[in-house]
Amino acid sequence: MIRHEADTSARSDRWLTPDGLARLVPLFILVVVVAAVMLAASQLGIVQQRRVTFGFISLITVVGLYVFMGNSGVLNFSFVGFMAIGAYVSALLTMRPQVKATFLRDLPDWLAAAQFDPVVGALAGGFAAALVALVVGLPIMRLSGIGAGIATLSVLIIFYIVLGNWTGVTGGQRSLMGLPTYVTIWNAGLAAIGAIVLAFVYQESRSCLALRASREDEVAARAAGVRVVRERLTAFVLGAFICGMAGVFYGHFLGTLRVENFYLDPTFLYITMLVVGGMRSLTGAVLGVIVISTLTELLRLLEIGVRLPGIDAALKAPAGLGDVVLAAMMLGIILFRPQGITGGREITLRGLR
Amino acid sequence: MELEASGVTVRFGGIRAVEDVSLRLAEGEIVGLIGPNGAGKTTLVNVLSGFQRPRTGQIRVGGENARGWSAHAFARRGVVRTFQAVRLFSGLTVAENVETALLSTGVGRAAARTRARDILGYLHLAERADMGASALSYGDERRVGIARALAMEPKFLLLDEPAAGLNIGEAEELGKTIAGIRDDFGCGTLVIEHNMALVTNLCERLHVLATGRTLAEGTPAEVMSNPAFKDAYLGAAA
Repeated sequence: MIRHEADTSARSDRWLTPDGLARLVPLFILVVVVAAVMLAASQLGIVQQRRVTFGFISLITVVGLYVFMGNSGVLNFSFVGFMAIGAYVSALLTMRPQVKATFLRDLPDWLAAAQFDPVVGALAGGFAAALVALVVGLPIMRLSGIGAGIATLSVLIIFYIVLGNWTGVTGGQRSLMGLPTYVTIWNAGLAAIGAIVLAFVYQESRSCLALRASREDEVAARAAGVRVVRERLTAFVLGAFICGMAGVFYGHFLGTLRVENFYLDPTFLYITMLVVGGMRSLTGAVLGVIVISTLTELLRLLEIGVRLPGIDAALKAPAGLGDVVLAAMMLGIILFRPQGITGGREITLRGLR
Repeated sequence: MELEASGVTVRFGGIRAVEDVSLRLAEGEIVGLIGPNGAGKTTLVNVLSGFQRPRTGQIRVGGENARGWSAHAFARRGVVRTFQAVRLFSGLTVAENVETALLSTGVGRAAARTRARDILGYLHLAERADMGASALSYGDERRVGIARALAMEPKFLLLDEPAAGLNIGEAEELGKTIAGIRDDFGCGTLVIEHNMALVTNLCERLHVLATGRTLAEGTPAEVMSNPAFKDAYLGAAA
């Protein structure tokens, strides 16, 4: 009889079995890769370091996007809006009062005078994004397919319009300048590792297995007792938290915020990264960021012009080539390898499994 | 404990899919739900499992009115169904298919892994546990569908054409499995089936639907000798 046996396996030792350790291999490899990139880049010049730092911020965003979209299979165009929330909340809490007085004259008094610790500001940014996701997600988590795509795009547009016109708090269409720029390759790299760990722990949870079941077949998942809306909402809120943190790093990396930085262009860039890498695995999310970031960097250099060694000629690509190549790559992946480079599998010591 | 439908009516547009049907299923019994195509069998199972709200009539689970329950609520209270099209989670492994159901009954993550293997072993699927569900043969697919339902610890198991597409030998084997499940788990089982030999051997009672209405009910012998049943179901040949 299999029904009444006792629940003997203790929760605490589940990672310490050979089987449990084997499950940790993908996480281990991904963390080592990011740490290696961080260490290698720290030896390079400041310009290259900034490029890699920016790549880490993209990595945090795409991992946040993966947590919801990859596991639920539901389209999400709103995630960059949660980056914006994180970025602006942290900015407002950490900017110096004198700077706020210059750019934002209509802030409420308590906020105008306040200046919090960067860590407090960052966490507040992440939690604010998560809170807004909870409210917004409640009605739209019932949707899937095209309905979800349209609804989340509408959410992005609402965020964009509100932030762009709430001049007293965000500076509106003008840039908001003077954010403390505390982001380095070290804290951005560690945050990227943190996002990967968070996404991995979530993906091993019961909630995520239920969510992935609903991605495969929503009707059968409900028959297996899965509370589809609730599991989707959990992932949506967690993903928004990670994207909110990415927004925090983005703002304090550039030191300047513009609402245009949180609209369609980055939305499609990050979605391209996730789709090219493989939407259904954390490895895919990480790999997609690495591949697309490297490619855009190379194409950017090519658009500036590269002097060929030996001969007296320069290789120069026409402007706009980068965007065309990215779009073509997205198209190629969707047509010929719809599950992305990783095919939805996680990396292990024996390759992709 | 009983699963009980009383006076259930479902309409799609102007069409009456199910009209004033009442049916009871007690724990430990096997009831066959039969009838020609389009008789409303699957619609009735959808109503009994919360996937279709009836226009009128009510469902009671162990005496409790199920009005307003969603499908996952039925499943969590032990009213578990399978699908004619099986509907496995094809991107997950066989074991994960079963674990998903176990986890929603409140079993821990590690315990679910062990127990999923026990359930798969019970259905002779142990060596399939780590395969992707999309790689299974048709017969194995159907058994994994049943394994996933068993993982919910059903009090009432609703099987929608479990033998569809199986050959005679496989269908007989499946009949033994279903009878075995009833003996081992004590659940009440409702089987939609076209294979009359299987149904008459397996079921204590039959419930016959035709064009959405109850045509006959009783033991297989009673139903077989019912003139209305002979007329409508077996046709002029009977």
